[in-house]
Amino acid sequence: MESAADVSSPPRDGQSFRRRLIGFIAIGEVGVLAAMALLIVFFWLLEPAFLSERNIRAILNVVSFVGIIAIGQTILLVAGEFDLSVGSVAGLSAVVAAKLMTAAALPVTVAILGGIGVGAAIGLLNGVIVVRLGIPAFIQTLGMLFIGQGLIQVVTGGYPVYPLPEAINAIGGADLAFGLGWSFAFFIVATVVADFVLRRTVLGRNIYATGGNQEVARLVGINTSAYKIGAFIVVGALAAIAGMFVMADLGSGGTSIGSGWELTVIAGVVVGGVSLFGGAGTVAGGVVGILMLKVVQSGLVVIGVNSNWQQIAVGVIMVMAVGLDIVRRRYFIAGA
Amino acid sequence: MPNAAQEPLLSAAAIAKSFGGVQALRGVDFDVVPGEIHALLGQNGAGKSTLVKILNGVHPAGSYTGVIKLDGRPVSFASPADARSNGVGYVPQEIEVLEQLSVAENVFAGHTGLGDGFMVHQRRLQQRAGEIFADLGIGIDPRAYVASLTSAQRHLVMIARAIVMRPRVLMLDEPTASLSGTEVDALFSVLRRLKTQGVAMIYITHRLPEVLAICDRATVLRDGQVAVRIAREDFDAETFIFSMSGQRLQRLFPEHAAPVGAPTALEVRNLTVAGHSGAVHGAKDINLSVAAGEIVGLAGLLGSGRSEILHGIYGRVPAEGKIRVAGDPVAIGSPKDARAAGISLLTEDRKRDGLLFNLPVGANITIGNLAPLARRGVVRGGLERSSILAAMRALNVKASSPLASVTHLSGGNQQKLLFARVLMRAPKVLLLDEPTKGVDAATRHEIYRLVVELAEKGVALLIVASELEELIGLCDRCLVLADGRVVDEFGRGEGGEDRVLRSVAAAQAERHVRASQVSP
Repeated sequence: MESAADVSSPPRDGQSFRRRLIGFIAIGEVGVLAAMALLIVFFWLLEPAFLSERNIRAILNVVSFVGIIAIGQTILLVAGEFDLSVGSVAGLSAVVAAKLMTAAALPVTVAILGGIGVGAAIGLLNGVIVVRLGIPAFIQTLGMLFIGQGLIQVVTGGYPVYPLPEAINAIGGADLAFGLGWSFAFFIVATVVADFVLRRTVLGRNIYATGGNQEVARLVGINTSAYKIGAFIVVGALAAIAGMFVMADLGSGGTSIGSGWELTVIAGVVVGGVSLFGGAGTVAGGVVGILMLKVVQSGLVVIGVNSNWQQIAVGVIMVMAVGLDIVRRRYFIAGA
Repeated sequence: MPNAAQEPLLSAAAIAKSFGGVQALRGVDFDVVPGEIHALLGQNGAGKSTLVKILNGVHPAGSYTGVIKLDGRPVSFASPADARSNGVGYVPQEIEVLEQLSVAENVFAGHTGLGDGFMVHQRRLQQRAGEIFADLGIGIDPRAYVASLTSAQRHLVMIARAIVMRPRVLMLDEPTASLSGTEVDALFSVLRRLKTQGVAMIYITHRLPEVLAICDRATVLRDGQVAVRIAREDFDAETFIFSMSGQRLQRLFPEHAAPVGAPTALEVRNLTVAGHSGAVHGAKDINLSVAAGEIVGLAGLLGSGRSEILHGIYGRVPAEGKIRVAGDPVAIGSPKDARAAGISLLTEDRKRDGLLFNLPVGANITIGNLAPLARRGVVRGGLERSSILAAMRALNVKASSPLASVTHLSGGNQQKLLFARVLMRAPKVLLLDEPTKGVDAATRHEIYRLVVELAEKGVALLIVASELEELIGLCDRCLVLADGRVVDEFGRGEGGEDRVLRSVAAAQAERHVRASQVSP
């Protein structure tokens, strides 16, 4: 609504302007939310147990782990790169932290910081190699996926690290509200913070510019290399944190933590309207996309669909979501 | 001279077309006869591109109303390929080449089998491409990879690609946009040769001197209608400008006098920038200075190092040399350093290194300028909006709102948007690379006025433009470049386009003499 009154009241006007600006970037969220609501109703009608407290809790718990990584992956995708090594990094950071607090007998806090350090260091390495050496992110992070998997075996010798100190089990077993623990709390706080940073801050706008056209961003004085490397570090650190939350949840440093997550995360955020080509999408959208994927997976389990078909459904949904997004954008451009 | 009574080869009658409620063409009649070069003129948004896209099958039959006739028979093209096979060729404005393939393969792209089967006959392709180039007087090795060509050479490859099909009607959309003087001459001789072969050509351009030089007839579009048709006998630049804009533009360039005794704003000493891809010269040992409020132009052919000087000063490419801004030495290693020193650059290619298509109009203006609009790193929405609206008003950027997509803006509005971006920081030194490229005549004049206004406010301007008339009309002083060196310098009123061309030719002749003396 454009009117003279709007211009005379700058604060409200500023808010609505910001909202519409966000609308331009985040045209995908509402559609994904609507689709998800439909799916929830669909699964609930077929099987009311889908909306049981236990099932909702289970979905939210799983989303909190993968969602933490999705936050970082969204930021990195908006900056114009992506990371396939997040699953390996999550697993490696978890087993390194587990080894530090058991075999090395370091205090739990130090061991956790060590785990985060491993994730951040791998992110830095990925970022520097992609940005400075110009090796495509696809190759570099795919390589890092294998390296990470190998290192997990090297660190653990193939056996899960068990038992872990009591403090870790306490983190994993905590019940803050509705049976959800620290991982969910961290996931919510990180989502809110990251979403705010991308939407509202100069930093966030510069990330959109970097992902939209790196050369333009450089010409307007943005240090695009630093932004990209920074985004890689954030992804690595968040993957490490997610991995350690899973470790706490399981009560052991398992060697399969994070295995296969990289594709789930990318599929989820893409469903949520984050562009694979950079410069478009929001953290809220990416997180909603992950939630929708998990709703579908869980719903298919609850209504008793064969697990092979669940995978097929995930694939179909991802392609459809991107297809719809492309159609909508085309309409948006043609109809404007 | 084509006979006016001749039967039209291609004709269009009562063509109308709308895009989502916006009427782009409202009943246009147009025709072209064999051996004629027919200029299609009009401002951006007048409907030229839409008309050409209809004639060429990009907008397929059924998406518009009206009748197209080829040889007097109604035709309906379903696609550009369909139009091509009916003898209607098209050379788009944007360069669309396959960089990883050779020149010959590009020329024959889509039919590299040459009609007999599955295999690509490299040698035959190269031979045939060589024959076509020789015929057209194009000096490019058919075996070279397109990635190594300059943009002008790439354009010639695209023209060759259209000619290979032996079209009877050839449409050229702004074919000289990336060409310099001698290359334009080469293109014109190609077009004259095609004309003698009876090809009917439709020539879209913003450059009136080219219409005067080569075209036989002109149709001017305005607001989706034919404003006027002009025969060659009645050609006159003023008439064109008048009919395109609907108002008579009295003087082409606003008045400006070089400031007397103003302090030096930009001083460049021994600037050296590396060249690239063989055909583009870097800058060698350039010395220049621009006073506050002075407009200085860099004249020269494409690839003479003009843009490289701007890029070197701005830190876009690595450069050696000393730069002082308002007397203070500054070390510029990146665009960020240059901006901190008060230097801004408007780049030549809006699509490639100007606009951010993922952000709306408003955010495109404020990007890079957000620091004063933010508190502790958080952008203040109200302040951002009001400064965007002020900038859009000041530069007359016509967009429905700050949240409109930049994709829909006309070339002129996109360019004004980018001006708003670079001016938001109130630069002391402004570097402009082809500031009027691909914009309509009215916007062009707005930009001229803006340049003069900025100079009067004390901004030092350094401008690169391919159109010499524009550069000489606008600038207080011109430096002429050849092969990366300054070969001549003259003030306002001390020379015209001929002086630039003579200086360049003299420098090239001298280099030729020196080269032949060195080699025995």
